[in-house]
Amino acid sequence: MSSPVPAPAPIPTPTDVEGETVVGEQAESPWRRFLSDFFESRIAVAGLVVFVFLILAALFAPYVTPQNPYDLMQISIMDGRLPPGTQGEMIHYWLGTDDQGRDMLSGIFYGLRTSLGVGAASTVIALFIGGAIGLIAAYFGGRVDAMIMRVADLQLSFPAILIALILVSILGQGVEKIIIALVAVQWAYYARTIRGTALVERRKEYVEAATCLALSHRRIVFRHLLPNCTPPLIVVGTVQVAHAISLEATLSFLGIGLPITEPSLGLLIKNGFDYMLSGDYWISFYPGVALLITIVSINLVGDQLRDVLNPRLKR
Amino acid sequence: MKFGKLALAAALAPALLALAPAQAAELRIGLDSEPSAIDPHYHNLGPNNEIRRHMFESLVGQDEQQRLTPLLATSWKPTSATTWQFNLRQGVTFSNGDPFTVNDFIYTACRIPNVPNSPSSFTIYTKAIEKVETPDDHTLIIHTAKPHPLLPVEIATWGILSAKVFGVTQKLTFDKEGCGITSWPKTEDFNAGKGTIGTGPYTFGEFVKGDRLVLNRNDSYWGEKAEWDTVTVKPITNAAARVAALLAGDVDFISKPPTQDLPKLEADPNVGLAQGLSNRVIYLHLDQYGPSTPGVKGTGKPDAKYEGEGPCATQPCEKNPFLDKRVRQALSKAINRDAIVAKIMGGVAVAAGELLPHGFFGTNPDSKPEAYDPEGAKKLLAEAGYPNGFELVIGTPNDRYINDAKVTQAIAQMLTRVGIKTGVNAMTKSVFFKTRNLYEFSVYLAGWGAGTGEMSSPLRALVASRDKARGLGGTNRGRYSNKALDDLVLEALATVDDAKREAILQKASRMAMEDYSILPLHFEVTSWAHRKGLTYKARADQYTLAMGIKAAN
Repeated sequence: MSSPVPAPAPIPTPTDVEGETVVGEQAESPWRRFLSDFFESRIAVAGLVVFVFLILAALFAPYVTPQNPYDLMQISIMDGRLPPGTQGEMIHYWLGTDDQGRDMLSGIFYGLRTSLGVGAASTVIALFIGGAIGLIAAYFGGRVDAMIMRVADLQLSFPAILIALILVSILGQGVEKIIIALVAVQWAYYARTIRGTALVERRKEYVEAATCLALSHRRIVFRHLLPNCTPPLIVVGTVQVAHAISLEATLSFLGIGLPITEPSLGLLIKNGFDYMLSGDYWISFYPGVALLITIVSINLVGDQLRDVLNPRLKR
Repeated sequence: MKFGKLALAAALAPALLALAPAQAAELRIGLDSEPSAIDPHYHNLGPNNEIRRHMFESLVGQDEQQRLTPLLATSWKPTSATTWQFNLRQGVTFSNGDPFTVNDFIYTACRIPNVPNSPSSFTIYTKAIEKVETPDDHTLIIHTAKPHPLLPVEIATWGILSAKVFGVTQKLTFDKEGCGITSWPKTEDFNAGKGTIGTGPYTFGEFVKGDRLVLNRNDSYWGEKAEWDTVTVKPITNAAARVAALLAGDVDFISKPPTQDLPKLEADPNVGLAQGLSNRVIYLHLDQYGPSTPGVKGTGKPDAKYEGEGPCATQPCEKNPFLDKRVRQALSKAINRDAIVAKIMGGVAVAAGELLPHGFFGTNPDSKPEAYDPEGAKKLLAEAGYPNGFELVIGTPNDRYINDAKVTQAIAQMLTRVGIKTGVNAMTKSVFFKTRNLYEFSVYLAGWGAGTGEMSSPLRALVASRDKARGLGGTNRGRYSNKALDDLVLEALATVDDAKREAILQKASRMAMEDYSILPLHFEVTSWAHRKGLTYKARADQYTLAMGIKAAN
């Protein structure tokens, strides 16, 4: 029972590759090679362009949107449920308005800000926590490993949305609480991924050499093991951003998580869902499209990263 | 094959309809919520009460406008300040053939306090009864301890069981304990149809929780016979699904189609609508209890220490601005009620200036909704010492009243415009009511339907000081307290003369409104949708009754 269980990684990763992974100083110009490999796929480049555009839109939302949809001074229910292309009192509603009179275009930009922000923040935090835990498990092995991995197994056996729902209903509303819930459901993925890679790397000679030099555990783990385990982490991380965003959207759609006066994409979709049967399609439709584009572009980038960073697929 | 049958049916249908217009057999109703039990005395809840009226009749009925009408009693009158005489209808039988007598009334009155685990008991409607005399089988003399003008209204809220069905044949004498009976029917038995026998126009067929309730016509009914052979009531809680079921022809009649779908339904040639003003007022309660309040920021330190129930007793809170009448008035002026009615409610609501719509007993005919006046609101706030406003969080349920959370969001916009930076805390109804009952809101939105259909109901529950012993302020979670108003409400509750009571209630209502003790927003208009060929008279109590659904000629 105490023998380490091979961890099934959520996506193919170079865990079982014997031989050197491409890292830092060994390759001639690794960055250039990496970039040229990445830009081989046009569709991935398109995904990247869209994704960069979305990030810029989210970052600069306050400067480019015609309205601040979170400022109740600027919106008026008298402008509620106007179809796309209506000229309002002060601004032109390119994508129409929702039931509270929010400009949908501004709402989507601000919603992207929340969605991408929550997605990125939760991924980075989960990556650090999960990565550290996974490394510790792989490096020390034995009981520590078994205990950590059983906890991860236990958690992965529940659907992520269920755990997130329970956590958010206990913690209450707020952006930081959503992030906590998303970190809690995601850390296990990273822990498993990095543990799988690290188990392989640990048996290699350079780690043995480092051990013989009597380097400290910390130095071996973070300066030797970690750099060799990052490629799969990057791939899983990219895909998980998309996952976190859709999870956040689901929670918002179910009406828990973020306050209704500051809607994210999921909440915008939910608001419009009530009006689907009455023909006011735009309230749900455009935020839905924005969410779709976001997730697809991230996944395109993630897929290409996986191919580029996987030495087995090297031509 | 299937198509052929369909074509045949289509060809025959008009012919059949023309031949036998009154032979409409089955009616299928989709309701937004289902009863928690078939037991008529288990739970004082809207869905239970509307189902109860089909099978178990009461002595006194209520028409669409909640005016009292004769039902099992043909007439009633006060014979002194504390006694009432009810003359029961002769020749009425239960659906199993047993005759209806005073004994059944006494049996029911005795059973009501003896329903185990009742979540909301009907005892509030029987506790006024002190003693019952029965000069003959069809005359009741009811004594009350104090003058009690609401007795006929209260008697209209509960249905009569048959004593004989439950093995009680001896002559009963009313007392507050249980009339010497030890074994009472169980709630589960009614759900299974055991003892589910009343005098109503329909009899119990079958109840499958979560799926359907089947009612059959009572052919031995004393009054006008029911129009439908069988009525199937299905709970369809999702509003969009309910509309879809109607459009697909799965049901003939639905309650509460969502307001945003009404224009589409109205335009549909196969669908008819029934709409009517309800007795339900949507209001804002403002915390007027202690020197500090939990949901407000930017008002500074409280003047005194908070004492009593509520979160401010244990945690630091800022000064409570709502003790100042000018602030309450400013809030009222800042709200554009007409805009809420037009834009959020889609026109199907009526702006409120009192706690009951005009025409109901105890309302002031000259009362008007507060006029929208943002400038006036800003001025009042400045006078009250808040020229820059303050921050506020409003609590609201998001699945209890029509468009509740949307209305609150609109109010947040309007208050923000006059300088009160407002956030919204929306939650599901069970969490909302729990949080509200712990006094965690400074301002919250809720609704009140006047079960009695007159002004004493909302005044007593919503604005009279909280006082369990006197039965006042049961739902007054804003904790407004005004002794003069309490006295008026109590005086009205003890005045038997209708004209005098109405004058007192009008005075009390005006007093409550002029003091901005509570901010009424609008009255819900209830809608029903049905396939073409049916009619329904909208009811102020929002009940869906198969008796009111008729085939149009």
